[in-house]
Amino acid sequence: MSKILVVDDSSTVRDEVAGFLKKNGLDVDTAVDGKDGLAKLKTSPGIKLVISDVNMPNMDGLTMVEKIRGELANRTVNVIMLTTESSPAMKERGKAAGVKGWIVKPFKGDAVLETFRKLAS
Amino acid sequence: MITAHAKDSFERIFRKAAQARLPSSPDDECAIMPLAQTGESAAQGTQVAVLTISSIVFRLLLILHFDENDSTRGYYLKEADERPFQEAFLEICNLCCGAMNQELLRYFPDLGMSTPYVLSARCLPHLHELQPALLSSYSVTLGGTARLGATVCVCAYAPVDFIADTSAVEETSGELELF
Repeated sequence: MSKILVVDDSSTVRDEVAGFLKKNGLDVDTAVDGKDGLAKLKTSPGIKLVISDVNMPNMDGLTMVEKIRGELANRTVNVIMLTTESSPAMKERGKAAGVKGWIVKPFKGDAVLETFRKLAS
Repeated sequence: MITAHAKDSFERIFRKAAQARLPSSPDDECAIMPLAQTGESAAQGTQVAVLTISSIVFRLLLILHFDENDSTRGYYLKEADERPFQEAFLEICNLCCGAMNQELLRYFPDLGMSTPYVLSARCLPHLHELQPALLSSYSVTLGGTARLGATVCVCAYAPVDFIADTSAVEETSGELELF
């Protein structure tokens, strides 16, 4: 079964997003920063969708995406950024790194659930 | 270096963001009153959550003062909620600063935002050392029960002049923008 990885240094956001997705029947894992997220991706081939914050300690979300494209180039992993950041420059960096979409917090699960299902399948 | 229009704009942007993001429920009243002095309402043990929005021409500090007392905890944490208070509260602060950031991006495209960090409120009197061009403090009452303080501190490195239109009710938060 395909899995979704939620990466955020805030346990509030991790619990909110992962809880919502689990409640809707999706298989979810969590990571506390980009470094942790990258490590979990390497050991869990079933992860098809990553929902990640941008600003995090140790490794930020966009650096994590750049590393996914570099170190896991043979894997198909969709990445959606979920962040308070909304600057065009940051979105451009995300696009260039292969980010699939961008959500400005707060998270509104009902609006994105079906798209998440498709991207995770 | 900051015009009167710009000062007024920063203050209105703060008020709009605070009213949208600080209440735990959208129906709760968020009463914002200006304070004459920074840190006036700070009691012994008061802490502050600090977030930064930086551009080439200014650095803005959004400082939210809080006491981890029963009324504040009770306001932000429901009965079954086992999260540490600060964890929950810092995410609220992050959302508030994010709303300011989103509004300011309409006038300054080069903004970057920090993650929140916590300091003692004893740091507040030292804000003057930064020689800010704008330093405004407020008391914030939420749902008639929880009280916070807030300070907006802006340091300018070049002339800053803009007039913010905060009347727009555009709400793009939570929507997925596919690339």
